[in-house]
Amino acid sequence: MSDNLEIPRTNAKVSDPARERSLNFLERIYLPEIFRGMWYTLKQMFQPKFTMLYPEERFEPPAIFRGRPVLVEDEGQERCVACGLCARACPPLAISMQASENSDDPKERYPNFFEINMLRCIYCGYCEEVCPEEAIVMSKDYDLVFESREEAVYDKSKLLVRKEELKDRLEYLREYKNRQFGQFWNFDEENNIHSVRNRDKRWETSLSLVEMIEEQRKQDKQTELMRD
Amino acid sequence: MTQVKQKGPEVTLTPPEDAGNGLKTQEMVINMGPQHPSTHGVLRMELTLDGEIVTKAVPHIGYLHRCFEKHCEAMNDYTKVIPYVDRMDYVAAMNNELGYAIAMERLMGIQVNDRVEYIRVIMAELQRIASHLLALGTFGLDIGAFTPFLYCFIEREKVLDIFEKASGARLLYNYIWIGGLMNDVPADFKSDTAAFVTSFRPKIKELNDLLSYNKIFVERTANVGVLPEKVAINYGISGPSLRGSGVKWDLRRDDPYSIYDRFEFDVIVGKGEVGTLGDCWDRYIVRVWEMEESLKIIEQALDQMPGEGDVQESVPKKIRPPAGEIYCRTETPRGELGYYIISDKSTTPFRIKARAPSFVNLSVLPAISVGSMVADMVAIIGSIDIVLGEVDR
Ligand code: SF4
Ligand code: SF4
Repeated sequence: MSDNLEIPRTNAKVSDPARERSLNFLERIYLPEIFRGMWYTLKQMFQPKFTMLYPEERFEPPAIFRGRPVLVEDEGQERCVACGLCARACPPLAISMQASENSDDPKERYPNFFEINMLRCIYCGYCEEVCPEEAIVMSKDYDLVFESREEAVYDKSKLLVRKEELKDRLEYLREYKNRQFGQFWNFDEENNIHSVRNRDKRWETSLSLVEMIEEQRKQDKQTELMRD
Repeated sequence: MTQVKQKGPEVTLTPPEDAGNGLKTQEMVINMGPQHPSTHGVLRMELTLDGEIVTKAVPHIGYLHRCFEKHCEAMNDYTKVIPYVDRMDYVAAMNNELGYAIAMERLMGIQVNDRVEYIRVIMAELQRIASHLLALGTFGLDIGAFTPFLYCFIEREKVLDIFEKASGARLLYNYIWIGGLMNDVPADFKSDTAAFVTSFRPKIKELNDLLSYNKIFVERTANVGVLPEKVAINYGISGPSLRGSGVKWDLRRDDPYSIYDRFEFDVIVGKGEVGTLGDCWDRYIVRVWEMEESLKIIEQALDQMPGEGDVQESVPKKIRPPAGEIYCRTETPRGELGYYIISDKSTTPFRIKARAPSFVNLSVLPAISVGSMVADMVAIIGSIDIVLGEVDR
């Protein structure tokens, strides 16, 4: 117990030069060492380049890449049914939204406003994971620029992206994700519109949901025609 | 409004001494950081100098404090903590996730299948290589060797590419979930990783040629910042910094978690090859050879990895652990990362405390830097490899 542990064993004042490695002649003239270092650099010159000239040459992310979350725009309107799950799942509380109803639309509910604060978003992907409608997905955008904090709050006009542009990600999701849904029902696009189920008077009929909607539309058209 | 008077740090200076030639000398206090390129983040060191020799060093931390614990308590779900543990040690996010996932699985009594375990181990070891590469590269950079830094980053980039293909992110993955993984690895994961392993082996030798045994580098690091074994244990140091002092302690071997007991690997310790045991060079070389050991583990894991298995098989639908508490420790590239989790049988964590290795390792800095030159402070800070995100949490 005699060592005082607080006192360092070796320091600049007491370092022991006798233990130092002595250099041989070639090492002492330094030149061979320098050339050895240069040789590595020279070899590296003929390797494929690892860097990218960024703004001119852009990194094309794979489909799995988690970039900025966007809302899917399907036939001119958002798929979102304003269930609020994504806002609840978002760890940094980046999403804020307000639900609204529209009984003329088979989807019935839509978000009145939908905002993601991109200063808060941490690109975790939980919003996409919980969304039952495949309405919010991670896009490939990775370089976001804003000049003020207000600008960083993205509203629907900035969030909505047409589904054709998100084809990669949507296909990836079909193939690799949302397995838990597959256990109970086939995850098809036509299943996307749940709320039709409650509106359809003839739910007992074995029509698929899409057929039901088409039926509904046909009936609506007929009534319109008859009114005319 | 009441004004709060802030007390400055107390500094006692020796009165000016006569140097003998009519000039007076005095100790001087300087701040190193928080904006200093080689403090690896926002660390402020308050150095008291006698000429060029450090007589006292006090680290000041907290610039990156993000209320990790408070955040966890405010989350309404245990799952939401995972992106936050990523951000503690942001250069070794996979290891942080692994520790948290294992702690939660032990608390809830979840058994994950073999495929998940193997993927997790491979990811954790790849991350260890990436993290050590960054540590070694920046350590060289601090001391003045610029080129090895770039070569290290090229290799690290390849690891990040593998991660990106699997998880979709390059730095903060959110990949290891409680009870499983976010998604399965891509089909070419095995071949990619095997290709990386074969291409990376010769690079370790290259790094040794370029940096480790370089005369200038050895001069700068050998016999500097010596951390004797007993001091290291007294301060609770862990990870490569502890092993650099010659203590054979690695949680992967001494307290195996996950499936580390199935692999053969050596625990690398410092031997005082070019200087005193426990100097900066020893801590450095431990990291270099640890990458080799990680490669061994990855190779074995790739061989044994089952090809089939659902990675989300045991992901719980609702995470509501039984009331109780658990302390679970894992070996990250920086040392022992422990999570102390208290559950009150609700879906919200009652308390999550992280025992961050960087924080504990930093505490030894005042003890080992006394008596060194001010220029060596850079080497000492670099060699204990702190990540300020984890120090402050
Ligand atoms: S990616 Fe994560 S942080 Fe961003 S909006 Fe979605 S849930 Fe919130
Ligand atoms: S989870 Fe999907 S459907 Fe629900 S509010 Fe969010 S984006 Fe809309």
